[in-house]
Amino acid sequence: MKKVSKRYAILLCVTTAVAACGGKDNVSPVDTESQAFDDLRDEVRLVVEDPAREAQAILLVDALEHDFLALSSVLKKRSSRTRELNADYDTTRAVFDAHLKSAQAELRKSRRNVTRTQLALRDALSSAEREQIDKAHSKAMTATIKSMQAI
Amino acid sequence: MLIAIITILFLGGGSTGTLDYIADARGDVKTVMEKDDRRDGALDTLKSMKKQVSANNKALKRTTKDLEKALADDADLEVIWDEFYEERAAHNEAMLDLRFQLRDQMTRDEWEQVFAADP
Repeated sequence: MKKVSKRYAILLCVTTAVAACGGKDNVSPVDTESQAFDDLRDEVRLVVEDPAREAQAILLVDALEHDFLALSSVLKKRSSRTRELNADYDTTRAVFDAHLKSAQAELRKSRRNVTRTQLALRDALSSAEREQIDKAHSKAMTATIKSMQAI
Repeated sequence: MLIAIITILFLGGGSTGTLDYIADARGDVKTVMEKDDRRDGALDTLKSMKKQVSANNKALKRTTKDLEKALADDADLEVIWDEFYEERAAHNEAMLDLRFQLRDQMTRDEWEQVFAADP
């Protein structure tokens, strides 16, 4: 009854974060995101029997949620600033270049943090545990995937 | 699939590039600009933008496959991400060239009607 794939963990967390960028429907993206991470934590508790590893995995899910919130914030700011610059007829090329380079650097940094946590979570789980979690699809996760596809 | 989602996330949603949304302004440009050679030029620029976006999306699919394979093989993902970011920078550069070309084809008033109301 215990299997988790790193892929599921990655999918759940990533799709959850995506919801923060473009959710629709009646449920707010933040609620969906929060629920999806809660679902992942529940699944980890269900699947990982060893208390020490379970605690470690839960901490990593917490870290992942934090990383994704930071990443989501970076994306929102980037998008907003890009539209602001584009709307201004007088924005110079130099200003645009500086904005894009800065945004890309920030995004790379956030992405590295997320990858590091994802890999740590993957390594904290056995392949059997990863497969088990891979099979679980919460409503929140399904909603976040739909939301992402609709962006 | 999973890596595709990750990639989409890092690109900022369904639109794969920061400036890609500009390429969708065709309808507004048609509405705002008089039907003449200048408008035709602006529409040609938007068409070029669409092509650029399409080429970038193809590159993105290739990156997605590379990431999936690397993940399955426990290979180094950073090499692929580095290449991706290089391509992304080149794409942004090309889109910026076209963005300024488009701006030069429009008056201030037309530009503001099309883009100033962007949320």
